[in-house]
Amino acid sequence: MLINAVIIILREVLEASLILGVLLALSQHNQISKSWSLKALLLGGLAAVMYAANLAMISALHEGVGQEIVNAVLYVFIFTLILAIVYCLRDKQYLKLAAAAMFGCVVLAVLREGSEIIVYIHGFSTIPDLFTPVLVGSSIGAGIGLSIGVFVYYLIVSLPFIYGVISGFFVLVFIAGGMVSQAIQMLLQADLISSELPIWDTSQLVSEQSIVGQILFAMMGYEATPILLQVVLYTASILLTGFFAIGSIKRTQQGNLL
Amino acid sequence: MKSIRIYLLLALLATITLVSFLSVLQGYRSSTQKVDELFDQRLKNLANIIVHANHDTKPRQERMINTKPSVFFQIWSDNNVLLARSGNAPSTLAVDLQDTEQFHDINFNQYRWRTFVLKDNSLNRWVITAERIDLRYSLADTIVSAAIKPTVLAIPIAAIIIWFAIGFGLRPLKQLARQLNNKRADDLTPVVLKDTPEELSQLVTTTNDLLSRLNDAFIREQQFAADAAHELRTPISALKVQMHNLKQQANVQDAELTPLVDGIERMGHVVEQILSLYRNSPDQASKTFQAVNLYTLAQKILAEQYTQFEGKNQCVSLIGDKSCGVEGDEFALKTLLLNLINNAAKYSPDKSEIQVTVEQNKRHVCLMVEDSGPGVPKEDYERVLERFYRVDGDQHGSGEIGCGLGLAIVKHIVTVHDAKIILSQSELLGGLCVRVEFKGA
Repeated sequence: MLINAVIIILREVLEASLILGVLLALSQHNQISKSWSLKALLLGGLAAVMYAANLAMISALHEGVGQEIVNAVLYVFIFTLILAIVYCLRDKQYLKLAAAAMFGCVVLAVLREGSEIIVYIHGFSTIPDLFTPVLVGSSIGAGIGLSIGVFVYYLIVSLPFIYGVISGFFVLVFIAGGMVSQAIQMLLQADLISSELPIWDTSQLVSEQSIVGQILFAMMGYEATPILLQVVLYTASILLTGFFAIGSIKRTQQGNLL
Repeated sequence: MKSIRIYLLLALLATITLVSFLSVLQGYRSSTQKVDELFDQRLKNLANIIVHANHDTKPRQERMINTKPSVFFQIWSDNNVLLARSGNAPSTLAVDLQDTEQFHDINFNQYRWRTFVLKDNSLNRWVITAERIDLRYSLADTIVSAAIKPTVLAIPIAAIIIWFAIGFGLRPLKQLARQLNNKRADDLTPVVLKDTPEELSQLVTTTNDLLSRLNDAFIREQQFAADAAHELRTPISALKVQMHNLKQQANVQDAELTPLVDGIERMGHVVEQILSLYRNSPDQASKTFQAVNLYTLAQKILAEQYTQFEGKNQCVSLIGDKSCGVEGDEFALKTLLLNLINNAAKYSPDKSEIQVTVEQNKRHVCLMVEDSGPGVPKEDYERVLERFYRVDGDQHGSGEIGCGLGLAIVKHIVTVHDAKIILSQSELLGGLCVRVEFKGA
């Protein structure tokens, strides 16, 4: 149970802390005030508590797949906001918009991952024998996830401006792909997309349930048994975000040269 | 990096957390493996005990033994007849009887069970012992969690200790920053730190070298001002005396000497103004600040300059609060007033009016010098405060001697006193109105 708690909480915390760490580092490089982050964390935390408290009602919607639909929508919103951030960071006149998109992105990420954590831990609060191992495992998972977020932030911040922006965008491109992949997964669970046979199975190589699998899942939406639609949309989202990122990097370089 | 302390705390804490938690996870895996082996050994021992304690070779249903619900056993004959079992055990074969001393995982009664099969060769029987896997894991989790919990709880404690340790480590840096921050502008004495750490010794040495060089530069500047005052004033005074003597000689026309006289006057004026600018450097002025009554000072200057006003039949008045005072350098404030009043007198025509006002409101002490002269075009308000700038350059309509330094010196003194200067058209007299606002009373 302890190892399950570690894996589940690590996946949730790592995803949110990576998004927060990268966006904070990009704010630092682009001289955007980081005051949005605290507000986003507080608002996201509050929203997560409310979402978790009403999860039973949300789950019952749309013939019992309300939660999956809401989660898919949240993932699509986060993907859209990441696209907006990557685009807005190309020009100084859009920096306020970029800060607003960062705020929205972190609020949604904390809402989504925070609610999962609350629901998971709360589920064990009535089983005293399991509650302590779950709490210990959750602390370990959260600790590892937050530590990786801190390292990613300081690593990107320590790089020279242009390399920092490139690295930040690189991580964001894969996070964006991961969001789309997870949205598809949610729609599959809700049976809104017809299930097909997976086009490959890499679970023997890297199991989704392993710590490495969970880190890859958080960083780039790793799926051991994806279906064709998932692979196509994942690739398309990465190419789209990558295209925006390259455009922004070129504009930034030109701006620096000028 | 906004704060070294926060950076070090986060970086150290993240490193400690990551390293210790990953080690803990590795430890957890090894521990559960070890615990698994122990539980398997227990299951094996249980089977051996049963073999030695029970010698049944015929089935006896009444011999159902109540065991803990987490464990069961079965005894089977070689030809697959159930000889005995615990109350919670299945009545059918839990596992295939093929190999002896083998472990298997099976599903029974909605739970997953770990089983051990042992062949009793002496009585030709098979003994199967089983244990619920979930309870095994739960027990293993509880044991390992208890061992890991202190490590997890130690992280917040480590955070507090690291926070204070970094604070302690950064103390010399803070001490250095505080000393530099608290230094008065004119205090160029070396920085002294108790037990300077190796990392800061170079910084302290370089800072002290810089302060020393700055001090030498200030001394040289003061020396220069004093030397220049003496070296420049003396020849100018001698020139003036020679000029006076020249005028006394009958064969020299006054008109021929006028440009020379004006030139000497102009040179003397420029020298006095430049020296005044030097004397009022911000770093030197602040140490001479004292309470100065602006009204009394203005009164004194107007009295001293009375002959100038009389020569042009100008009407001068001083109004305001007689007790109005500011904290400042008396000599600098005198220079400020003298320049403003002289400007008003010089650039206003004959029979014009000049009014000096000293007043105090809730926030400021205000000094205002207004005249009824031609004033200054609005677009030149900023520029007349620059050094060596005169409206219309050397072709100034007044024909007065000037070098464009008067208002620049006034602005400089205003800056030194953290005051504000505002130029406008006088509503009362129509000429220029110069308003200086000093902070507080």
